[in-house]
Amino acid sequence: MSTIFDFGRGLAIVVALYLLGTWLHRVGVPIPGGVLGLLLFYGALLAGVVKLAWVERAANLLLRHMVLLFVPLTVGLMELGKVLSRQALALTASLLVSFVAVLLTTGVLGRWLLPQAAESTEEEAGR
Amino acid sequence: MSAAAWVRTPAFSIGLTVLAYWAALALHRRWRWVPPIVAACVPIVAALLLLREPYAEYNRGGDVLTWWLGPATVALAVPMYRNGLALRRSLPRLALMVLAGAVVGMATAGGTAWLLGAPRAVAMSAVPKSVTTPIAVEVSRELGGIPQITIALVILAGVLGATFGPALLRLAGVREDRAVGAAMGTASHGIGTASLVRRSEMQATVSSWAMAAAGVFTSLLAALLRLVAR
Repeated sequence: MSTIFDFGRGLAIVVALYLLGTWLHRVGVPIPGGVLGLLLFYGALLAGVVKLAWVERAANLLLRHMVLLFVPLTVGLMELGKVLSRQALALTASLLVSFVAVLLTTGVLGRWLLPQAAESTEEEAGR
Repeated sequence: MSAAAWVRTPAFSIGLTVLAYWAALALHRRWRWVPPIVAACVPIVAALLLLREPYAEYNRGGDVLTWWLGPATVALAVPMYRNGLALRRSLPRLALMVLAGAVVGMATAGGTAWLLGAPRAVAMSAVPKSVTTPIAVEVSRELGGIPQITIALVILAGVLGATFGPALLRLAGVREDRAVGAAMGTASHGIGTASLVRRSEMQATVSSWAMAAAGVFTSLLAALLRLVAR
C-alpha cells in the first residue's frame, strides 16, 4: 500500500513539475519545458523541498522504460525514407564527425583537468 | 465496430506499441545484441503496412506515449542529483568538460550536415544528436528540426559510443575514470552510460551525471542560438 502511495506521489511531483515547465516555456522562457522541469526538480532536491525517497521509485520507472516512450516517433521514420536516403551521406558524416569530436573534446579536456587519480577502478593490465 | 475502425483507435496504437516493446525486451534478454528499439519498431511498421494504416493515424495514440518523454526528462534530475552528490569535488571541472563537449558536438553535427548540402531542417535535426532522447526531441523541435531524424541519430550515437567509445578514448590517452565517464555520457548519453556499468562504477556514475548535464547545456545553448539568430 505504501509502495503505491510512494509511487503515486513521486509521479505526481514529476508530472506537476513538467506541466509547470511547459507553462513557463509557453509564457516566454526560451528553454524547453522538460528541461525547465528538470532544473526545478534538481533545485527542489538540492534545497531539500523534495526528498529523494519520495520520487526515486517513479523516476526510476520512467527512466527504465524510456525506450517505450520513443517507439512512436521512431516508427515515424517509415515515412521519411526519401529524405533519409537523399541525405544519407550528410547525416552519416555528421554523425561520425560529431561523435568523435565530442568524445575527444570532453575526454582530452579531462586528461588535462583531472589528475590521474588513485580512485581509478578499471583493470589496466600492461600500463 | 468493424475491424478497420477498431484499428483506428488510440487504444489500438498504444496496445500494439506496449506489446511490441514487451516482446522486444524479451528478445533482448535472450539475444543481447538485439537493440530493443529496433526490435520494437519492426513489428509495428510491418503491422501498419499490412493494415494499410497511415502513420499519422497510428500516431494519435502514439502521441500519448510521446508525451511522457516530458516527465521522463524531468525524472533525469534524480540520477543527476544522486550522482552529483558522489562527485561533489570534481563537479565544476566535469561541468566545464561537458559544456565544451556539448558546444563542439552541436557545432560539428550541424556544421558537417550543412557543409554537405543538407537542408536547414535536416541539419537542425542533427544538432542535438549527442544528448538523451527526450531532451534531443525537444531541442530538435525548438530549432525547427525533424524529431524522427533526431531520434535515429541519437540512437546511432549511443551505439557508436557503446561499441567504439572506450577504445577511442584509450587511443587518445584518456584513462582516468572520471574523464572516460564524462566523455561517454556527453557523446553517447544513456546507451553509452549503460555500457560502462560493468566496466567501472566510477565511470558509470560520472557518465550518468554527464548525460543529464549535457542535455541541460545543449538545450540552454540552443535557446541562446535562437535568441542570437532572431
